[in-house]
Amino acid sequence: MSTDVQNNGVAAKPKAPAERAPSSALDLAIRYGFLALLVGLAIFFSIFANGFAGPRSAVFIFQSVAMTGILALGVTCTLVVGGFDLSIGSVATSAMMLAAYMMVVLEQPAAVAIVACLVMGAFIGLVNGILIVRFKVPDLLATLGMMFLLVGLQRIPTAGRSISTGMVLPDGSTAGGTFDPFFLTMGRHRFDFFLEKLLPIPVVFLVVIAILIWIFLETTRHGRLMYAIGSNERAAALTGTNVKRYKITAYMISGVLASVAGMLLAARLGRGDIASGTNLLLDAVAASLIGFAVLGAAKPNAFGTAMGALFVGILLQGLTMMNAPYYTQDFIKGAVLVIALVFTFSLSARKAGGH
Amino acid sequence: MTDCLCQISGLRKAFGDNLVLRGLSLELPAGSVTALMGANGAGKSTLVKILSGVHSSDAGNVSLAGQSFVPSSPSDAIRKGVVTVHQAINDGVIPDLDVASNLMIDRLAEPGFGFFLKRKQLFADAQEIADRMGIDVDVRQPVAQLGVADRQLIAIARAMSHQPSLLILDEPTSSLSAVEAERLFDLIETFKARGVAVLYISHRMSDIRRIADRIVSMRDGEISGLFEDTPLDYEGAVQAMLGHRMTDVNIEIPQRGEPIVELKQLRLKPHAKPIDLTLHDNEIIAVTGLLGSGKTDLAQALFGLRPPNSGDISLDGAAYAPTSPGKAIANGVFMSTKDRATNAVIADFNITRNISVPFLAQFSSFSFLSRGAERDTARDMIEALSIVCQSESDGINTLSGGNQQKVMLARWLVDKCRLLLLDEPFQGVDIRSRHDIGEKVRQTAKGRATLVFVSELDEALEIADRIVVMHEHSIIAEFVNRDVDLNEILTAVTGTAQKQLEHEAA
Amino acid sequence: MKILRRSVLALFASAAVGAATLGTGFAQSMPAPLDNPGDVKIALVRYLSTGDFFQAYLSGVEKQAEAVGLDLRIFDSRQDAALQADMVDQAIALGVDGIIIQHGLTESMQEAAQRAVDAGIKVVAFDVNVENDAIPQIEQSDYLLGKLALEQAIKDNGTEWKAGYVYVPGIAPLDRRHVAWEEVKAANPGIIEKAQMGTLDNPIANSNANQARSVLQANQDITVFFAPYDEFAKGVKIAVDEAGLSSDVSIYSADVSTADISAMREPDSAWKATVATNPAVVGEVSVRALAIMLTGENPGAQVIVPPTLITQEFLNANDIKNMEDLSANMPQFAHADVAMTEWMPLPAR
Repeated sequence: MSTDVQNNGVAAKPKAPAERAPSSALDLAIRYGFLALLVGLAIFFSIFANGFAGPRSAVFIFQSVAMTGILALGVTCTLVVGGFDLSIGSVATSAMMLAAYMMVVLEQPAAVAIVACLVMGAFIGLVNGILIVRFKVPDLLATLGMMFLLVGLQRIPTAGRSISTGMVLPDGSTAGGTFDPFFLTMGRHRFDFFLEKLLPIPVVFLVVIAILIWIFLETTRHGRLMYAIGSNERAAALTGTNVKRYKITAYMISGVLASVAGMLLAARLGRGDIASGTNLLLDAVAASLIGFAVLGAAKPNAFGTAMGALFVGILLQGLTMMNAPYYTQDFIKGAVLVIALVFTFSLSARKAGGH
Repeated sequence: MTDCLCQISGLRKAFGDNLVLRGLSLELPAGSVTALMGANGAGKSTLVKILSGVHSSDAGNVSLAGQSFVPSSPSDAIRKGVVTVHQAINDGVIPDLDVASNLMIDRLAEPGFGFFLKRKQLFADAQEIADRMGIDVDVRQPVAQLGVADRQLIAIARAMSHQPSLLILDEPTSSLSAVEAERLFDLIETFKARGVAVLYISHRMSDIRRIADRIVSMRDGEISGLFEDTPLDYEGAVQAMLGHRMTDVNIEIPQRGEPIVELKQLRLKPHAKPIDLTLHDNEIIAVTGLLGSGKTDLAQALFGLRPPNSGDISLDGAAYAPTSPGKAIANGVFMSTKDRATNAVIADFNITRNISVPFLAQFSSFSFLSRGAERDTARDMIEALSIVCQSESDGINTLSGGNQQKVMLARWLVDKCRLLLLDEPFQGVDIRSRHDIGEKVRQTAKGRATLVFVSELDEALEIADRIVVMHEHSIIAEFVNRDVDLNEILTAVTGTAQKQLEHEAA
Repeated sequence: MKILRRSVLALFASAAVGAATLGTGFAQSMPAPLDNPGDVKIALVRYLSTGDFFQAYLSGVEKQAEAVGLDLRIFDSRQDAALQADMVDQAIALGVDGIIIQHGLTESMQEAAQRAVDAGIKVVAFDVNVENDAIPQIEQSDYLLGKLALEQAIKDNGTEWKAGYVYVPGIAPLDRRHVAWEEVKAANPGIIEKAQMGTLDNPIANSNANQARSVLQANQDITVFFAPYDEFAKGVKIAVDEAGLSSDVSIYSADVSTADISAMREPDSAWKATVATNPAVVGEVSVRALAIMLTGENPGAQVIVPPTLITQEFLNANDIKNMEDLSANMPQFAHADVAMTEWMPLPAR
């Protein structure tokens, strides 16, 4: 019997995490490592890539990531509720086709095309959500199915042709409509911002959407409950959360954002291109997964996603400026993603889990 | 008793700065059951993981039958004769495979088993193992179709097919009913007779009383007490484990208020006897009974998870028939669920956010959250429930089981309710936290009715004003918690005597 | 209901008979086995199918096959090389008389093509070298496409300029266009390639626009962009417009479509010229070459469809809005006088 009966104090004090150093080098690396890397990268390219430094190249880096960034924010919302949306790329290209079809073939004004695209995005999100929530199809499979469906669907109205002004329709006639100038403005207009004609509208869209999603996820109770669902769906349901409704909402946000990205794409290209959108999907997923590593969050988050998209953008544009061929860019994109995932799942997990 | 099978000396293990085992020494004799007691965080799990080859020790020696025992992996430990049955049953079985494959799976993994499965042989071997263990199931049946108890027995049977010399059982009865546990104890006794050393880890005094030959108490990574003389000094063991004497709980039954919830002719199953029960303001009622006695069904009916078969529930005089937890909560009926890891804890959230989840609307205006209000509430709760933590923003998984459970309770004390349901609130909770929780529930009991669902009588006696016993989906006995005859409750629980409601004292 | 269905059936039947008699009507002058329209089955086995070029190619194949009276089956492998080879075997099993292999990889198609030849099937290959003497190659001369575009660039800009170049190695037609670029650079030391870029990530125009923005930012002295594929050129044009350099940079490309025509004709468009073979014409030539083989004649080991230079100036001068206008105004674009015989019927225009 070696027990000191009186000396009990507060139980199990030595076990409390107090004795761990609060900000070790590892902690700092996990929290700020990725942002430091981002800044380092920018400095590196500023020195070694001619013309990289400066507001204009900053803006077009933003522009190059605007579409993927918006898509990635949608994926982030589905990741938050523990889901995944593989259909965003094809939703975007379908929206691009729909916008072009509405204006060029059906000769509708821009407003109608925009509304149609948004409704389509929300509807596809709704269908995805219902497949997952009501019919219990696993999220990856449901959205994969939706992706194939859309890749096929977008070809049906034009029998596989891309849509451009003056195109020949399947029945042999010529399309009479054109892209509404207002619609093209969405992809092409640039605001004066310090410099004349600096800030393109897609960049404004990206920044605004990123802020809105951030506010929604971080500061509203709806965002909080979505995170709760992602962490433990059962527990969230047992605290009275309407899990199904939030999950469907997440997919609808994802669908709507994808359609916004698709419209920006249509406005930039000035036509509707047949495309599967798989590259858009992969870039967007990469951005949101890289986002896990930003600030050591180890979870999907809007700020991280935006930073992730920016990171990929800086990397790719910088490499292009240094004349690196496209396949090295794919390789480096993959390498960054792998490193970010290691960051997230190994280091951050070590930080969080005691035993 | 003198034949010492396993000798552990000076075992040390640290995770980072956290020293979990501080030079632990222990002997485990063959042919006897050593019960290991310790509060959460005492280092029991770490000890088990070292013995079963999951972790390696930092210092110290383990010898098994005179030879040095340093397992390189869990399978190495099994080969060397140390078999462990872990607490989480589903770690032990693969639900999609049939019973035979589950029993034989370690064999399948052995090199030299051959590439193709010989089904007939497999079933025959499995049947033999099952027969030897006294498990009465069809070995061709998928494990997913079996109950918890059978799964547990299969995990143990599989462990025993290795002919171990040391068997470690980590909380084996945590999901078993008393009858099922009895089957397990019989099994353990046959092993004991064969000369197997058994290390039995449990929080349950009733198990320990039933099965232990010796008791070892652990505290802060060291052995704090060893009890081998008959009769075993159970109180001394608890005392050694906690560092203080277990207080006798003295329930003062307060004046109960007006009725809040009334169950009228409620049938949980088509052919079950209907339930009539009235819950009053400022009253705490414990519902106890075996696994499958209908406790869970009653809790689920009240929380809108599963509608009752027939009958009515009224809440404050109005009809109450919730169809979802959301509706139940809106009506002022809250439930802290059992199995907190799967049903309650939101692992990615810190303490504050785990507390605020159900009532976020209270912490927000126009949907925007006020973090200050959340934090203040969390701090109040930490204070009120003596939750041991660094700050209110600690990750939930940095807390011990007992403290996690306190957070889960705190979640439902944020808002006022009319009926509070606590389903197994003491699951995996050390005795200190158990007292804290019980005390807090009793302190706040005014203004609501409280229904506590527990399987352990001790727990019911510690917390309730009234104890209701369920059997076959209906209530068969009711006791006022004052000078209760334990044996009477036990006979009711096991359903051997058909107690009538008239037995109730008041 | 029943009556309606029957009358519809009757209508179809009469239409079919009508078509058949019409077919025999002009097929009488054709040699065997083409004198019996609908009897001869051919298959088009495709590797690439998305994009305007391939759509137009297909429509050419369809129209010419209809004109000759061939029963056309289309197999589309969507860039799956193994599947494309399997599809050749499917076509053999189907008992077709002729096969057109459209694009693909030499390695995967060589043996499949040989199996088809062994089965007594006539085969022509478009834009893929299957290394088989029995199989004529239909080619649009990619080398000439590149060459003509660069000659126009030199005509417009002289022989002293800094260039951006869009190229993705490993794509056969681009590789052949690349040869012309290398030759022109070697012959004109004043032409300096400042940057090379290019990607096939879809949407291709969008991905290349992003890259071209970087290239233009990093190399502000570039005055000429050689983008020998119209999707590349579209991307570069978007980047040039966004960088506000429309009047400083000239783009020369290959291939053409209605969308390209409108892009070239935009006010101040940087896209100065493109060189193209009409993909529909290439499709027609493919079928004609196969038809010639089916009659037992030899169209020659190589059937080259000559390209046409299309300048921004020409488009504006003739107010050309789409491919139809272009065909109408440029006879050499509307019809290539290769793989022709006296009896060969041409699609109606």
